[in-house]
Amino acid sequence: MNEKRKKHLVRLLLYILMIVCIIVSFAPILWMTVSAFKPEGEILSYPPQWVPLHPTWSNFGYVLKNFNFARWTFNSVVAALIATIIVIFIDSLAAFAFAKMKFRGNKTIYAVVLSMLMVPIQVTIVPLYLMFADVNLLNTLTALILPTTGNVTGVFILTGFFRSVPRDLLDAAIVDGAGSFRIWWSIMLPLARPSISAVAIITFMSNWTNFLWPLISVSSDASRTLPVGIAQFFGGQSGVSGSAPQYGPAMAAALMATIPAIAIFLFLQRYFVKGIMMTGIKG
Amino acid sequence: MNGKKRSYRMVPYLFLLPYLFAFITFRFGPSIAGFFVSLTRWNIVGQAKFVGFRNFIDLFQDPNFIKSLINTLYFMLLTVPALVIGGLMIAMLVDQPLRGRTATRTFVFMPYVIMSTVVGVIWLWIFDAQYGILNYYIGLLGIRPIAWLSNVNWAMPAVAIATIWWTIGFNMILFLAGLQDIPNELKEAARIDGASSWQTFWNITLPLLRPTTIIVVMLTLINTFQVFAQVYVMTGGGPEMATLTVVQYMYVQSFQYYRLGYGSAISYIVFVFLVGLILLERGLLKKSGDLD
Repeated sequence: MNEKRKKHLVRLLLYILMIVCIIVSFAPILWMTVSAFKPEGEILSYPPQWVPLHPTWSNFGYVLKNFNFARWTFNSVVAALIATIIVIFIDSLAAFAFAKMKFRGNKTIYAVVLSMLMVPIQVTIVPLYLMFADVNLLNTLTALILPTTGNVTGVFILTGFFRSVPRDLLDAAIVDGAGSFRIWWSIMLPLARPSISAVAIITFMSNWTNFLWPLISVSSDASRTLPVGIAQFFGGQSGVSGSAPQYGPAMAAALMATIPAIAIFLFLQRYFVKGIMMTGIKG
Repeated sequence: MNGKKRSYRMVPYLFLLPYLFAFITFRFGPSIAGFFVSLTRWNIVGQAKFVGFRNFIDLFQDPNFIKSLINTLYFMLLTVPALVIGGLMIAMLVDQPLRGRTATRTFVFMPYVIMSTVVGVIWLWIFDAQYGILNYYIGLLGIRPIAWLSNVNWAMPAVAIATIWWTIGFNMILFLAGLQDIPNELKEAARIDGASSWQTFWNITLPLLRPTTIIVVMLTLINTFQVFAQVYVMTGGGPEMATLTVVQYMYVQSFQYYRLGYGSAISYIVFVFLVGLILLERGLLKKSGDLD
């Protein structure tokens, strides 16, 4: 009896812990959402209200009217999408060669590529800046996209997967007269769909949330990305300059930038998790 | 015949070409070039002047750089243990056969998909000294309001809290994957032999989880060492440089003062630190026999 009671108590404790985890994780997101819908007078009310008394869209209107928010979103989405498509295309081609083809220097080249996993991205920032300045491509989408395409993780994940594809499968295709390109397209790519989804999500998310490079490479407002625009107009920097930060519009902007990411995450959760597990293995 | 064979030999290089072009131009090349820039005095306008290792020598006599290095290590001290131990504990919690564990995983991971700068903005509001919700709730516990982000002692812990909230879900997922790789029979067997849950955890789960733990620790060290965006948004490095971090100092030197050589030298020091951490990891992995 006592044993059973103890078991129940432990279970209860575990449930309480789970609820605490959920509350701590979600409360800031909820608070952002609630604040975004509060009119100016209400947002600073004390004690804090978890339900807006007079919910309003005005903060969203204010953000869209006074800032290039739509433009930043467009830039972020387009840059991340194009970068992802390029990365999947060139990484899967290269990974196929690394995993399944014999050629001089295969191991050496692959080792050099992997060695870059150790080199922090900050090291490349100044030379990249000089390079893009030199060809007059600062402040362009091109500058936001291209540096992502030199990434290593995608090649690493896909090479790992392609190596696991049985040789027999390829031999059968070769006997049937399929060329390398054909094998890549109609055998390797379909087989690798889960890995490709994981690479796509990693690439998209890292480009979407990238901050340092877009901050440096883009200075005109029309070419800003979402993370940079939000940081510069709704971050502490504006508060420091004297006027009190306007939290209503800031939370509306934050919410608009967050909803797409959370929606994508909820739909593609499986691939997110897979992507993370794959980056985790890379060490 | 001969021509065909030769063209067949070219195929691997054709497959590699697009990626290698991107890799060399945007990753490998700049990484090497960065080192040469770090050996120069270069103020964007005007010529680069070769100065050897002068920048590195100057850096270690630059009190602001030393400050940024100490701040970064302090930030790591505040976040890494919490992120690793906390991540493991949450992973073990949601690994239990409890109703709602999947939902809990989803909620804990959710902050991770939010942009770093948005995380900064959200917590700026939560930490607001006058109207912030955090000060209200600690007030209910009888604690006087804290000027979180403008107090020299509290600014870094505040940034650390936001960071832990933001990234702990990532570690949870990695630990969860590691936990699920441990065969259930082992734990079963231990239980039948009369081991307590604590003994099972200490003698079976933790040793078998070692490879995962080493990877999680390493990724957490690497990511926290490079902290920048949250600080940029929440404090801008202040108050009184209390939250100035290494990467931020690199940004300031390179792109606000346009001292490109000096800034590159900072980024190379970041590099050396990270390589040190990675080699440490390799050593640990080798010792535990998980890597050949």
